[in-house]
Amino acid sequence: MLGAAAVLISLLLVGVFYYPVGRVFVEAVVVGGQVTLGVIWDVLSDPFYTGELGRLLSGASPGSVVRRLFGGRARLGIVGFTAYQAALSTLASVALGLPGAYLLARYEFPGRRTLRSLTMLPFVLPSMMVAIGFVATFGSEGTLNAVLGTLGLGHVKLLYTLEAIVVAHAFYNAPLVVRMTTAAWESVDASAVETARSLGASPLHAFRTVVAPQLVPAVLMSAALTFVFTFGSFPIVLALGGYQLSTVEVFVYQLIRDFSYAEAAALALLELGISLALMYGYLRYEARHAARTRGARPLPRKSLLPDRLTGRELLPRLGLAAYGVVAALVFLAPIASMLYASVSGPTGLTLDHFQFLVERQTTGAQFQVRPLPAIRNSLLFGVASLALALPMGVVVAVLTTRDYRGRSLVGAVAMAPLAVSGIVVGLGLLRGLVFGAEIAGHRIAVDGAAAIVAAHAVAGYPFVVRVVAPGLDRLDPSLVESARALGAPRIRALLDVELPLVWPAVVAGAAFAFAISIGEFTATAVLANSTGQYTMPVAIQRFIGRRLGPATAMGVVLLVVTALSFVCIERLGGERDGL
Amino acid sequence: MDRRTFLATTGAAASTLAAGCTGLTGGGSSGEDTLVVATYGSFIDSPSSSPGAWLKQRFEEEHDARVVFQTPSNELNHYVERKKAGVDIDADLYLGLNTEDLVRVDENLEDSLFVEAGDIGGLDSVKSGLQFDPQDRAVPYDTGYVSLVYDGTQMTAPETFEGLLDEEFEGDLIAQNPASSSTGRAFLLHTVHEYGEDGYLDYWENLQDNGVTVLGEWGDAYTAWEEGEAPMVVSYSTDRVFADQSGSNMEKHKIRFLEDEAYANPEGMAVFEDAASPDLARDFMEFVLTPEVQGELAVQNVQFPATTDADLPDDYAELAQSPPTPVTFSYDELQGSVSGWIEDWTRQFASN
Repeated sequence: MLGAAAVLISLLLVGVFYYPVGRVFVEAVVVGGQVTLGVIWDVLSDPFYTGELGRLLSGASPGSVVRRLFGGRARLGIVGFTAYQAALSTLASVALGLPGAYLLARYEFPGRRTLRSLTMLPFVLPSMMVAIGFVATFGSEGTLNAVLGTLGLGHVKLLYTLEAIVVAHAFYNAPLVVRMTTAAWESVDASAVETARSLGASPLHAFRTVVAPQLVPAVLMSAALTFVFTFGSFPIVLALGGYQLSTVEVFVYQLIRDFSYAEAAALALLELGISLALMYGYLRYEARHAARTRGARPLPRKSLLPDRLTGRELLPRLGLAAYGVVAALVFLAPIASMLYASVSGPTGLTLDHFQFLVERQTTGAQFQVRPLPAIRNSLLFGVASLALALPMGVVVAVLTTRDYRGRSLVGAVAMAPLAVSGIVVGLGLLRGLVFGAEIAGHRIAVDGAAAIVAAHAVAGYPFVVRVVAPGLDRLDPSLVESARALGAPRIRALLDVELPLVWPAVVAGAAFAFAISIGEFTATAVLANSTGQYTMPVAIQRFIGRRLGPATAMGVVLLVVTALSFVCIERLGGERDGL
Repeated sequence: MDRRTFLATTGAAASTLAAGCTGLTGGGSSGEDTLVVATYGSFIDSPSSSPGAWLKQRFEEEHDARVVFQTPSNELNHYVERKKAGVDIDADLYLGLNTEDLVRVDENLEDSLFVEAGDIGGLDSVKSGLQFDPQDRAVPYDTGYVSLVYDGTQMTAPETFEGLLDEEFEGDLIAQNPASSSTGRAFLLHTVHEYGEDGYLDYWENLQDNGVTVLGEWGDAYTAWEEGEAPMVVSYSTDRVFADQSGSNMEKHKIRFLEDEAYANPEGMAVFEDAASPDLARDFMEFVLTPEVQGELAVQNVQFPATTDADLPDDYAELAQSPPTPVTFSYDELQGSVSGWIEDWTRQFASN
């Protein structure tokens, strides 16, 4: 059963990912029918891309490189700068995400579950919406400066700086840290903490020895994913940072637009190599540091209102209050600005932009993009790809948590759909699927709804793997062994014993798979075979005109539809409190 | 949304999936009486006004034919990819080419993607200077001018390129990435025109020192400008037409032609070599050049007509401004140069 599923999954991955992407990458090493490493060498030894490494490889004396490295005049190159901003973005995302996870996992308050569902919202927003929200919040005439001005604290120039990129990346990725860490925290077994406490451990000591070891992998995992995402970031960098802060992906895009396939593929390979190396490093760490657990009776949540006015009760809550202010500025203010932009025009508040959506829906031509089909398609693709990605992810998680040599390598390769340049994936799908292949005189091409769902599922399943695998890995193997000894087939043991024990992770994985599908743009645009399969992000793109209002209104529709969907997924998923 | 509506939505969605799989949505196939027009998305979908629907209806009324639009997300590159992969091109005509596109396509394909337009009516009335294809494949149908738009309530924009380097205007200009945005590219080409290929990079170095902001797409730049991040933005000289339509304060939308010039960006259409209905495609090109269509296109696409005899509304010239001296590079001047100019610029501007 699991074996058959593994074969089907492999076929799907090869068909809609490895084969199409491989077709593009092969151009980096095969030029004019000749196998060569020349193109990759040219990219590696180009100081524009690789900075001091490139200078070294292109013949600069090692002495001069060392002097520049230690003299603070080192060139980073585009790749170096991309890694640098990704590292900063990762730190910012973790810093913004951890307190959120602490709040959601450890405290009880009205609306907690809804808030937890909605944490994923930023993750799906098109860059154009985020750019509008950020300019309105952090711009020179934005909310932040208005507040600072009122308080007499002066004026900050945040846009078109590295800081703007880092904050925008934190906006996108801190939710990832929150969601993954919360899932891990909710899977911590309360009895282990109680045992430690009964043996005389202080709360801090119990946290350090029992809870932290189970959280660290989730935090590092979300950090690794954040790095990979921000390393491949593209439109938001140009919208909020500016061209002088270009990332690798900007150049992959430009090279492909100019049909310089070999150089584009070589650069994208370098990008992929760095991301996968990081992922591999993390998985090696995870494999060595798996803590065993037998089950999950989650830790009881505390009330957000303090019981007593003691320092120990007040301090963490005051910290959370401070965090709330920062979170409101980074997350709520930009989203509120998006909402405001959708109802404002040159002469004040207006419903014109929503009026446009209604008109386009009712009077738009058949060949035009209309809002309702976009909503319907987005939901359809989201649900279908969730239904595909969830079992895919669980099966791959089960298979990759077995002990065998090279397990971390397999795990890293399974993450490839997250790490490959989106531009390369788009081109690969166009060539590999839409154009198809000539077989026995017939051109076999794959496009349309089924292909879109498959592509979305492939893009989303790595998340399911990454949130579910650590939980499965931590489970005491004797649980499955006793189930098998009692005659349960492997699949029954998985469904009845293992999955219920890691349920928060499964629901989180489902939310991720859905979010990836809702937010996906490139593959959808490439694979849609007529005007019939556009989604909400595609509609937003199409509604960008000389007035930005209509696109913003569509963006708000996406925001609302996605928010409702997240709440639905989590409600349907339920909240299981262990055994 | 409760569970029931959620399930109902899912059900509706599932039936759409079935429809999608069986290809009921159609489009793209070209029979004798079908004309497949490939173009960019905003030609048919732009919210302010897009000429696609009107054009389709008028052409179908006059000719016994059906017009189908194709708008792939990577636009012209989609057809180059098809050609390179040896896959049939299932469209008859591409609408929305500029000179730089044509150069780029020709430099990257061994065989031409398009065929000669041939003897089509109305070609005589195309303004001299707009014919940008030396091989007479592309027929211009409109032209735009890329200029500065500035907020007159905040400042008065300088009149020359040198003026942009004044301390007074530090951090005041937003432009776009010339490698991906046509306005950004036109502005870069204008600086090459002004300073020559040996001088434009020095000019940009000074401009960068004076705090120019270069963003990705026109939309990024225009949003930032509207939000007051900087008082000047590289945009179209027809900006006031839109400002007027949306009831904006016209003082905030002023046009500046640096050196009394603006970069002209003629847009053209051409028949694909693989076209299934090349004759119908030529009929369409003739139709687009008629005075009525030229006038309507100019209004709906908010560009200037390509012909001298377009039926324009009387007040058109009041809001849509054209420069005293349009400048542009010819196909021959761009060929072999433009990609190098852009690459040199990117390597200088993004270097770190």
